[in-house]
Amino acid sequence: MTRKPYEPEKESKVVGTITCIPSPMAPDGKMPKYDLPATYRENFLSMLKGESPQWIPFYMTDVQMFNPRIIPDNIARGMVVDAGPMEGVKKGGLDMFGVDWEFIPLVGGSMVKPGNPKCPDICEWEKYITFPDLDAWDWEGASKLNAPYLSDDRLNDFTIFSGLFERLISFVDFEAAALALLDEEQQDAVHRLFDKLATFYDDYIGRIKKYFNVDIIQFHDDWGSQRAPFFSLDTCREMLVPYLKRIVDSCHKNGMFFHLHSCGKNEMLVPAMIEAGVDLWIPQPMNDIAFIIKNYNDKIVVAINPPKIEEEIDDAKARAICEDLVKSTLVVDKPRVFAFASSTIRTPSTMKVLKNLYPVSREIYSKL
Amino acid sequence: MSIIKEIAAAVETGKSKVVGGLVETALAEGIDPAVILNEGMIAAMGVVGEKFKNNEIFVPEMLIAARAMKKGVEILQPQLQKQGVEPIGKIILGTVAGDLHDIGKNLVGMMLEGAGFKVIDLGVDVPAEKFIETMKANPDCKIVALSALLTSTMPAITSTIKAIEDAGLRNTVLIMIGGAPVTQAFADEVGADGYSEDAASAAELAKKLFAQANK
Repeated sequence: MTRKPYEPEKESKVVGTITCIPSPMAPDGKMPKYDLPATYRENFLSMLKGESPQWIPFYMTDVQMFNPRIIPDNIARGMVVDAGPMEGVKKGGLDMFGVDWEFIPLVGGSMVKPGNPKCPDICEWEKYITFPDLDAWDWEGASKLNAPYLSDDRLNDFTIFSGLFERLISFVDFEAAALALLDEEQQDAVHRLFDKLATFYDDYIGRIKKYFNVDIIQFHDDWGSQRAPFFSLDTCREMLVPYLKRIVDSCHKNGMFFHLHSCGKNEMLVPAMIEAGVDLWIPQPMNDIAFIIKNYNDKIVVAINPPKIEEEIDDAKARAICEDLVKSTLVVDKPRVFAFASSTIRTPSTMKVLKNLYPVSREIYSKL
Repeated sequence: MSIIKEIAAAVETGKSKVVGGLVETALAEGIDPAVILNEGMIAAMGVVGEKFKNNEIFVPEMLIAARAMKKGVEILQPQLQKQGVEPIGKIILGTVAGDLHDIGKNLVGMMLEGAGFKVIDLGVDVPAEKFIETMKANPDCKIVALSALLTSTMPAITSTIKAIEDAGLRNTVLIMIGGAPVTQAFADEVGADGYSEDAASAAELAKKLFAQANK
């Protein structure tokens, strides 16, 4: 993709509509289609491939999240996003492995109530854990229902909730999971479990591509707290990377990109992400994102966040902050970034800054 | 290497299968059980906490060290009881009502035990009444530690402290709070006596508060 001159008037004209999955932001399942120099999807893919995107993609407008209800995890986690009617969709309950999740309305997400793990001894997980039957889900039906809403206009992102470490936690509780990563007597069992999970995810990912127009698999695996990763880089390399790499390879062989969703201050683990072949990661704002861009941008794409702004700001100030944000990515020759607004920074003023992302990044990028 | 240093090294590196034997050897050599506990195991957990705070080690290493200490304490316990050696203090710990998160709270519990405290862990989603009931049942308890992981459950810290005040028990305990969204400013606002940002600091804070309570 070659960069085109920025034409503000032309590019702000609505020339049609994009069909999307109905959401509070687009209740009728339609969003305006502007006269852009590329589709949102083309631009995002161009950025991922290290080419010359026309603007910095904004995840929340340029990407279609897709979590169909045929996947039990999406119901268990309270995160169904598909074209079916939302009325009466359950939140919480059993996931695909039969683990019971409790939906917490205040948080808008689910968790496994600790203290009564499905698997009391990781060394004997084969006795307690039954792998899901992927044939039991109505892939054809979900494909027919959702196909019109997964257009080529936007990048389609399919979330796999509970990756490797999160899945282990859901089986044995957090402490037992963390301990098992390091305890020589339990490590073999963890390797066996992750090996089987990687094989399972390979089949799962193949079906996702077969039935849906998906560009990215978002693999949910939180690796850290607000102050540090849960485990060391060495532990991550030994216990997670070999299996994560297989899952990333499953995506790549199906022509999809791999998005690691990993909350926490995990910048220390970026080398492991790169070794596994992860394509993109949205670091929470407590990570040193400038450092990651400067040092790893040719190997992994990360999201930038504007600062959290509590006070009211005028239009000029919002634009100026956005300009600073866009310029902060120019520490490398070919910045491969997209923007995100983490829930912790999502104030009206912060969103006002992000409304400038298209015009500001378009203008700056067109001159690169 | 002295046996005490060997015990400390075994705890620090999480050699749970070795610690028991080393403690038995130390006891057989006639070393005071309190010395084994304080200079061998508690000191080692102090080192573990410091390394955790500095991101030199992480949760699994901390858990494995705590498990090793537990093994050593199991061997040591009868001797400590015989000598009348008591924990340095008692702490009531729990995640406040409406919050099911236990990771941070459990790590704090482990570090408190590692520092020599007896911890009464009330678990998660603990109503204020349960804290009060436990305080009444344990009048020798000097510290209550409250955890919340969510901004939406932080108000339960406030209401728990208020309930303790209303029950007329506020002057009997010092209250420490923590959890991802909790800050020193919030601790000041709700009238907590202390705040710490990680599990290792929580153990240090508890020691300070305990010294303060015993002045």
